[in-house]
Amino acid sequence: MSPEYEAVIGLETHIQLNTQTKIFCPCKADSWNDPPNTNICPVCTGMPGVLPVLNKAAVEKAMLLAAAMNAEIQPISYFDRKNYFYPDLPKGYQISQYNMPIARGGYLVFPMPDGSERKVTIQKLHLEEDAGKTKHDFGRRLIDFNRCGVPLVEMVTGPDLHSADEAAQYIIRLRQLLRWIGISEADMEKGHLRCDANVSIRPKGAEVLNPKTEIKNLNSIVAIREAIQTEIQRQIREVEAGNPIEAWTLEWDEDRSILRKMRSKETEADYRYFREPDLLSLQIDEAWKAAVLSTLPELPLQRRARFVKEYGLPIYDADILTSERSLSEYYEATLQAYQGDPKRVSNWIINDVLRIINELGVSAAELKITPPYLAQIIRMVDESVINISTGKALLDKVQNCGKEPAAIVSEEGLAKMNDADMLETLIQQLLVENPVQVESYRKGKSGLLGWFVGQVMKQTQGKADAQLTRSILEKYLNQK
Amino acid sequence: MDLCDYAAYQLVRMIKCKQVSACEVLESTLKRIAAVDGLPGQLDGDRDAEPNKVHAFITLTAERARRQAQQIDRAIQAGEEVGPLAGVPFTVKDIFCVEGTLSTAGSKILSNFVAPYTATPVARAEQAGGIMLGKVNLDEFTFGSSNESSAYQPSPRNPWNTSRVPGGSSGGSAAAVAAGEGCLSIGTDTAGSIRQPAAFCGVVGVKPTYGRVSRYGLIAFGSSLDCPGPLARNVSDAALLLQVMSGADPHDSTAANLPVPDYVADLEKPIKGLRVGLSPDYFRLTYVAAESGELEQQPIPEDYKQAIYRVAGRLAEMGADIIEDVPMPHTKYGIPAYFVISRVEAASNLHRYDGVKYGYRTQQPVHDLHEMYRKTRGEGFGLQPKLRILMGMYVSAAQYSEQYYMRALRVRSLIRRDFETIFNPEGRYRLHALLTPTTPTTAFPIAQVYGDSVLMQFADQLTVAANHAGIPAISFPCGFDPEGLPYGAQLIGSDFSEALLLRLARNYEIATETDQWRKRIPPILRST
Amino acid sequence: MITPELFDHLVELAALELSPHEAEYLRRELNNQLRALQELVAVPLDPDIPPALHGINYPREIRPPLRNDEWIPSSHVETILKQAPELEERYVVVPEIPHQDLE
Repeated sequence: MSPEYEAVIGLETHIQLNTQTKIFCPCKADSWNDPPNTNICPVCTGMPGVLPVLNKAAVEKAMLLAAAMNAEIQPISYFDRKNYFYPDLPKGYQISQYNMPIARGGYLVFPMPDGSERKVTIQKLHLEEDAGKTKHDFGRRLIDFNRCGVPLVEMVTGPDLHSADEAAQYIIRLRQLLRWIGISEADMEKGHLRCDANVSIRPKGAEVLNPKTEIKNLNSIVAIREAIQTEIQRQIREVEAGNPIEAWTLEWDEDRSILRKMRSKETEADYRYFREPDLLSLQIDEAWKAAVLSTLPELPLQRRARFVKEYGLPIYDADILTSERSLSEYYEATLQAYQGDPKRVSNWIINDVLRIINELGVSAAELKITPPYLAQIIRMVDESVINISTGKALLDKVQNCGKEPAAIVSEEGLAKMNDADMLETLIQQLLVENPVQVESYRKGKSGLLGWFVGQVMKQTQGKADAQLTRSILEKYLNQK
Repeated sequence: MDLCDYAAYQLVRMIKCKQVSACEVLESTLKRIAAVDGLPGQLDGDRDAEPNKVHAFITLTAERARRQAQQIDRAIQAGEEVGPLAGVPFTVKDIFCVEGTLSTAGSKILSNFVAPYTATPVARAEQAGGIMLGKVNLDEFTFGSSNESSAYQPSPRNPWNTSRVPGGSSGGSAAAVAAGEGCLSIGTDTAGSIRQPAAFCGVVGVKPTYGRVSRYGLIAFGSSLDCPGPLARNVSDAALLLQVMSGADPHDSTAANLPVPDYVADLEKPIKGLRVGLSPDYFRLTYVAAESGELEQQPIPEDYKQAIYRVAGRLAEMGADIIEDVPMPHTKYGIPAYFVISRVEAASNLHRYDGVKYGYRTQQPVHDLHEMYRKTRGEGFGLQPKLRILMGMYVSAAQYSEQYYMRALRVRSLIRRDFETIFNPEGRYRLHALLTPTTPTTAFPIAQVYGDSVLMQFADQLTVAANHAGIPAISFPCGFDPEGLPYGAQLIGSDFSEALLLRLARNYEIATETDQWRKRIPPILRST
Repeated sequence: MITPELFDHLVELAALELSPHEAEYLRRELNNQLRALQELVAVPLDPDIPPALHGINYPREIRPPLRNDEWIPSSHVETILKQAPELEERYVVVPEIPHQDLE
């Protein structure tokens, strides 16, 4: 960005809640891979005469998100009708919440990759129904109502973000939070987390809010970054050419990486909000709130900070370990079983366990290497029962068969060979059998030590104590 | 007297003890329909066709009804338990969805809509053994008080005088019941749409408490005001139908979670000591003159007033206490508040008719979606829906919403307070019910008021307050004017006091059982 | 007073196409109704009078419970689709929505 300008960005996010059914009817909410217009009923297709009935689980999930965003859950909130014509909106209005939403206020403090922090405020959080999907087809639109009525939470940030990167980082952290508290799959590709961005620019240091454009349909982190960046650049070009910024609505075409103008905001319909008479006010009493919020776990950024503080982990480790709730729980459970150096457990998980998790595409909670098993492996290595390479090989064995590591060690005789006499005999034999290498070593090719160690390991199937092997080898090789 | 003229409660008794069969009752009713109804309403039909017929129906579903009647008869033959409406023919205002039937709302825009599901009140009436005869005419989307605004013509005529309107919007329901085309009808009442036609056609109509009867499947007009309710030729039959329609419904979040009392059992309990009020505010009409814009007051015609006072007298004879001069100061705001609330809700409720997923779509070529919308809605809606949509658009626009819509909702609170005051058991009046005329006049001539949307709306001034307040009200016949048109008396009660209102009305029936006027039958039936 | 310009705006918002004859009637009736509303605007209202969404108050004991999150597949899917004016491979078909690309 040109140094004279600063971007002012607010994000409007729509979060699809992972309830089993839609918000106002008992149709299945998730229609991924289902043929068009299969998960529909009279209610979500807006047949004449139908009425909405609110899904309790949608309310409870919104309450969890509100608490996680530090927002205040309102004892009474209302649903309103937002009236507009669009073919994917069968009733001609969207049931949403307007001036009395389920939660108000709130914020998220999140880290940037350079270690600095940003705070984004949330004005309100409201529940609403999703619309269907339309697709272009040679001068026509094809409409699928499957998504109509899927529960959404809308959260709008203040104009607190100042770069495409910050916007992307916020969404990354929000996505992490949503999965963490279990209210949304937050898969952007599947539209579980959608984002519109309001973008304007101003001279650096200015306080004014200039006319903004709204970019719709930013459905990946890459799209958020690219579209906002593109739009900031466009606005700078316009301003520098002396043109005013008009309050357009833009659409990001991800395939072509271009912005497309939707319609001018000046002609945008007045939504004529009014209270939805088909629903009563939503009343959340203290008892219900307490029961729901009692299920709220420690949040990822809090846990990340605690891992640094309580376990002395580097921020890098804490960040990875808290990337997913199940991983962070796996870490703590392992540490609990291990009762030793937290960093050591972290290393094992980040270097080795994560590889297995990624290869298998499972969550930490689904591993057959349970936290006690992992703790046992680390401890066996610590106590020199097995050597490090046996320990790492054990991970895969345990994951494959699900047996206790100690049992595998004894069954397969994997315990470390640290009998010095036995090793001395083996090494003496080795030196006799390889006079050329001995000669080379003694002439100064000291790098051959590693080769000798390798030979010992080969003969002992990796069980030889590396330290001991090395010192015995050195003893004999250096005897001239 | 034909089988179809019997009361529903009598027919149920006769059918259950195999004195007659449900099929016989049905055939008698179908014969009556064939004799008096004439052409059904149809799109672009001739308004003036067959001026001496009732024209209650849009869709007669005789074969469906025959299948239902046969089932009831088979069940009775087999000694199975049958419901409280076993074999009783009833009609349904064409504002309710009934699976597999054309459900038009009296509008071209739904002229090809076959409902995929059945409205709860209709489903319950059928489950109770009722035989649905078909769908009867109404003002388009219920927007009117005369039935003339239906896109389906000829629209219903008043069986007591076919040059008069049957009232509206449940005009087809009231006319059908009055003419013996079914004992019962399920109608809807948003500002008086059950009670006003009931009064005009000399039948009983109940607007229950909001939330007493599920609205699921009722094609919405003013969602915070709409109430499904029964129309019948007598109070007991109305109680019978209300009984089966009422109660909580998992499909309607505004349907009260409250047990339904036995409306039939206590009908004839004495009314001694019940306090019935009369208010001067219900014996005059306050309205804005269309041309001058001046506020004008007009008393209810003296003969109508006397008719209501005679009802008070008969109730007093039965032991009720009559309390006069009960002030209802906010009654006059009912219509202006209604102009706002119902239009905002109606405009929104009519958004869904856009030619996309059901109903009428323009046949003209279009360039884009918006043109399709405009042409479809322009061609599909009649003048009344258009007027209400535009009014709703205006008063709910962001810049006017506070001035009109929010204000109207607060005026609704005031209207409600009038009633809370008079029904307060510790208050000054301690009323059980307020007795009023149902309508400012008896049935007016066809074409006299139609077109003047303001004057037409003021026909609801005496009924609309109960809709604002959400409270129940019943209209029942109480004699005839000099021209032979029925007077309607209205009793308005507190929340969920339907049983009490029905009991008062039934006691009035008992008191007047032998009155000469009770023996009259609609002239249209004399030839049958 | 609803001027012809305001009227046209409302007609546009309402997605209606009107004949000149209809427009004339509707605008006249709208203005008549607005006159009837002046009375409403003049009602004295204490600030403590709340707006009433419904007439009845819905005390807690008569409020229906919220719906449990249990899937009940609809038996009406095909009959719903049968109502569509234009259907193709289970999609409901409508004319294109006007839009314009930015370079």
